[in-house]
Formats: sequence, structure tokens, C-alpha cells
Amino acid sequence: MASPTEEQSPDDTLTYMELAIQQAKLALDCLEVPVGCVILEGGKVVAAGRNRTNETRNATRHAEMEAIDVLLEKWQQKDGLSQLEVAEKFSKCSLYVTCEPCIMCAAALSIVGVQEVYYGCTNDKFGGCGSILSLHSSSSIPSHIGDGVGSEVARPKGFKCTGGLMASEAVSLFRSFYEQGNPNAPKPHRPLLAPPDNALNNLNVKEE
Amino acid sequence: MNTSQILHVPDKPPIPPHQQPTVNVLASVIEPKLANTIIRRLNQISPLEILRHVKRIQKKHVEEGKIKLLVILCVAGDGENESNNIPEGVQQLINSYQLSPFITKVCQYAATSKEDWEEQCKLWPTSFHPPTYNIDGIGGFIEEDSHSVFDFMQLTLKMARSGDGPIVNAAVIVDPSVNQIIASACDQTCSLYSSKAECCIRNCTKQPEVYGSHPDSSVVADHVNVSSDGSRDEPKQRHIGASCLNPWQWAAQQKLQTTSSSWHPLRHASIVAIESSATRDRRLFLSLGQDGDKSNGVYSIQSSSTSTTPTKRQKTDSTNAENGDKLDAHTEGLPSVSARPYLCTGYDIYLVWEPCAMCAMALVHQRIRRIFYAFLNPHAGALGSVHRLQGEKSLNHHYAVFRVVLPKEL
Ligand SMILES: [Zn+2]
Ligand SMILES: [Zn+2]
Repeated sequence: MASPTEEQSPDDTLTYMELAIQQAKLALDCLEVPVGCVILEGGKVVAAGRNRTNETRNATRHAEMEAIDVLLEKWQQKDGLSQLEVAEKFSKCSLYVTCEPCIMCAAALSIVGVQEVYYGCTNDKFGGCGSILSLHSSSSIPSHIGDGVGSEVARPKGFKCTGGLMASEAVSLFRSFYEQGNPNAPKPHRPLLAPPDNALNNLNVKEE
Repeated sequence: MNTSQILHVPDKPPIPPHQQPTVNVLASVIEPKLANTIIRRLNQISPLEILRHVKRIQKKHVEEGKIKLLVILCVAGDGENESNNIPEGVQQLINSYQLSPFITKVCQYAATSKEDWEEQCKLWPTSFHPPTYNIDGIGGFIEEDSHSVFDFMQLTLKMARSGDGPIVNAAVIVDPSVNQIIASACDQTCSLYSSKAECCIRNCTKQPEVYGSHPDSSVVADHVNVSSDGSRDEPKQRHIGASCLNPWQWAAQQKLQTTSSSWHPLRHASIVAIESSATRDRRLFLSLGQDGDKSNGVYSIQSSSTSTTPTKRQKTDSTNAENGDKLDAHTEGLPSVSARPYLCTGYDIYLVWEPCAMCAMALVHQRIRRIFYAFLNPHAGALGSVHRLQGEKSLNHHYAVFRVVLPKEL
């Protein structure tokens, strides 16, 4: 039988968040808004992602979306798993991300059905896990949904959510992004960064 | 009955005009010749900070051309002993002019529509400022523009039912300044190509009953059925498999027989259309991004294009679009740096169904200017039904949202 869901010790969660921070640093190196994440399945890192909105000119390419795509590609294309099997695997995954998922990513995480999310700093302007909407909490879903419409309706899924892990590290990455701007750019044009579509405009992030 | 309509979906849930919340105020009749003195004094001792939209004074015409002036003294509590709450200055004023204050009601919030305003003034006059944000269409559409809106919506509906499988959601991104389609897509949650959506037929069959059980959605289903192109041998019952209607449905699907089909739970029509507009952007402006490292290229473009702040640049872009600068760039075949739109700034998107939270937020990120949808999404819609993202003040971008009601016969 499969091993019981292991309770993460505080040390472990910090180790995983450290990996997410590494991803955010990669984003920073590529002049992207520094947000990074990793996804764990059964205590093993199975995917990583970082923001790629500038490179792709697609403002939806947030770290979480990147990491989810890595898993879908792997499980579907390579392993040939069915929807049911993939859903089953997602339901055993936890995600570590440096900043509270935005409304889009929180909705996406609910749709794929991850078990748990750990994040660093909060996202006061766009956060979908408590700041603006609470898409992680299934109780926030209006009660008429899924009631009395038969068992065939897939109900909105919530996930466990814990914030404030290494928040100051996450914030300081944002700070260096906004302060230093593009270190490689010629000086006169120094701080002219693309409007960060990603999670954060200005430094509107907080350490928990 | 057979008229098309474009309805603005406002930032706040609509309240019937006669049910607007009110607050109690203390008012009094005053002598017209004392009006100036009293108003000046009241503005100092009892400014109506939270009721800026309420007029301080009202003129009532009484019989024989006579005029009665009523003035608001201060906000009153709900309690019985309102006299206890009267600020000292106001009490002095009451005493020195021997006023007889009474409690009356005024509307608590500024009117957002003309109808609300007319209703408010029945209680006590207020001022009304129509929405000032400058997105075309909020104040109504000119006929030419509404014709393009209907045309694009019909095209979108056609895409949604073009496959053999269930009716899916479809998205069309349009540059309204030149009526040009920038990108279009259908849901790709079930199969890579919705026209070959064999898996959907099997897996999405249960949805119509499910949604049919809700009064609103059965209306939706009827509309789609009736408006599907009317050919006789087409099966009467077209199943609805639009991803945004039940984003969690994908997980309940059984293993597929066909190994060739591809699926992706997050490839809703809006997400795919955004991706395709981003691809177009990179392709069109390819030459601009080639001076060095990829991401560096993006930045150097932006830094050389203009030295304004991001928000200012956004404005510049939409102005450019309106002036037709972008059109010039397209027709000359050599896009210039300044004509490169920032993401989907200035563009519209047409959707068959109101988008889910994921798609609605994706459209905020990509800076869409206006969203048009035909049908409500009662269980998962994020633009009025379950959530209302267009009214979330903290977001860094706000689009205008419209519902397009088409006649049943298309
Ligand atoms: Zn996000
Ligand atoms: Zn959607």
C-alpha cells in the first residue's frame, strides 16, 4: 500500500520553500518578476516553475501555470495517464510558491485539484488565497453550487493553504527587482521594466 | 423580441432602484433669507463627509409659487434618542435659529445609473455623475459599433458549435480600432482540436442535465439549441461542454479509448486565445526582439520605445490604437517599436459564456479592454454571477464587461 501522507516537518517545508526561492532567483536573472515554485508528490520534487511573462509576452505564464504544465506534459504525454489518474496524482501534490497565488493561479490550482499550497508573502492586490478572493476555501463557494444537482457535478475544490514561509526572502527578491531594474540595460534606461503583470505591481506584498 | 441588445455588466451587483440603502439624517425647514448663513455655518461644523453625493439643501415648491427650503443638519443615529447624538455646534444652531429638526432618509451611496438617481431624488435630491472611466460603450453604443459587436458575437457562436462534439466555449480577440481579429480559439480541455472532440461526446454527456436543472442554465441551453444553425438533420440535443461552466468536470472523466486525443484541464478558450495572441505578438515583432538575449530584447524594446511609466505607456498605446497608428504599422508591413501594443491593451474579447475565475483573471493580466459574452455562467462565472472581478478595486487593470443578447433566430 501507499505510504500514509507524511506530515511535513518545519525543516522540510523550509527546504522546499528554499527551492521555490531558487526558482524565483532564476526568474530575476531573466529579468522576470521574481516568483518561483516547486510541486511535491510524496515528498519528492516533481516539477518546478518560474515566471515567464515577459519572455512569452503572455501575462498568464506565472510560475504555478508553468509547473502545472510540466506535470501534465509528463503524466499525459510520457506516462499516458488518463484524466482520472492525473486528477488522482494532483490530489496528492503540494505546491510551494514564493508569493500567494493570484486569482488566476488559485483558480487553476483548484481546477487541477492540488492538496496543499504553501506560500511566502501575501499578494494584497491580486491574491486568490485570502487577500482578494478565497478560492482555496471550498466554504467560500456559494452554497447553491453543487447542491441538488446530482452527484455528477464536480464540485469546486478547496485546498489547504499556509502563508508566511520565508516571506522576507520573497519580498527582498521583489525589492531587488524593482530597485535594480534591469542590471544589464544601459544606464539611461535603467529602471524601465515592463509593467509586471504577474502577481505584483509595485511592492504590494507583505511579510505575514 | 427579435432585437439584439448590448447590456453593460456593472462593477457592483445591481440593486433595484427602490431598494437602495438609506441613512437617517436630521433636517429642518429654514428661512430662505438665512440659507447662506446657515449653510456656511453647517459646512464648518457638520460637513457631510460620507454623503458627498447628497445635496445639503432642497427646495420644495408649495402652493401658489411659494418655496420652502429644507436643509440637512447632520447625520442622525438609528436610535430613539437622536437628540443625544446631535453635535454641540448643530444644537447651538438649532437653538439660535429656533429650528424644528426632524428625521428623514437619504440614499447612502452615490447613484450609479440614471434610474437609481431618479429614485434617490424622490427621498432627497442627490447629485449624479455618470461613470467617468473612459471605455467606449459604457454609455451606450453607436449603431455602427453595435453592428460590429453583433457580427463578432455571431462569429464566436458559430465557432462554438462548429465541431461535431458538444458546444464548447469560444473566444475571439479583436482589435476594434481596425475591426481585425487578433486571435481566436475554442476550448481545448477535452481534445487538442475541438472539431475532433470525440472524447467530449462521451465524457461531457452528463452536463446538459446538470446545468439544465438550474433555471438560468436551461435558458442558456435553449438559446444555444435554438440558435444552432437550424439544419433539420442536426440532432436536436447539442451537449454543452464549455470548460468555464464547470472547470472541475475534467477530473471526473473516464479513461479514453482513443490514445491520440490530447486534453488539458486549463486550456479554456480564453487561455488558448491569449496564448495565440502572445504568439502573434512575438512573431510580428520578431525583428525587434533579436538584439541579444530573449528577455533582454523585450526589455530593450520597452526601454527604447518610450520613457513613460508603465501606466502612462498603457494609455499611450490605446491612444495610438485610436489614432490608427497601429493600422499604419500593420499596413506598412514593418511594425515599428512604438506601434507594438502592450499585451492586449485596447483589444476586445468575445466569449460565448461568461468566463470562470481563472479565465477572467487571465484577461485582467493580459490587459483586455472590453469583454463581451452571450450567456451567463451561473455556477462558476466571475464577471457577475459568482464573482465580479470587474468590481475588484485592488486589481491593476479594469475592463468593461458587456452581455450581448441576441435574438433567438440567427
Ligand atoms: Zn498567478
Ligand atoms: Zn475558464
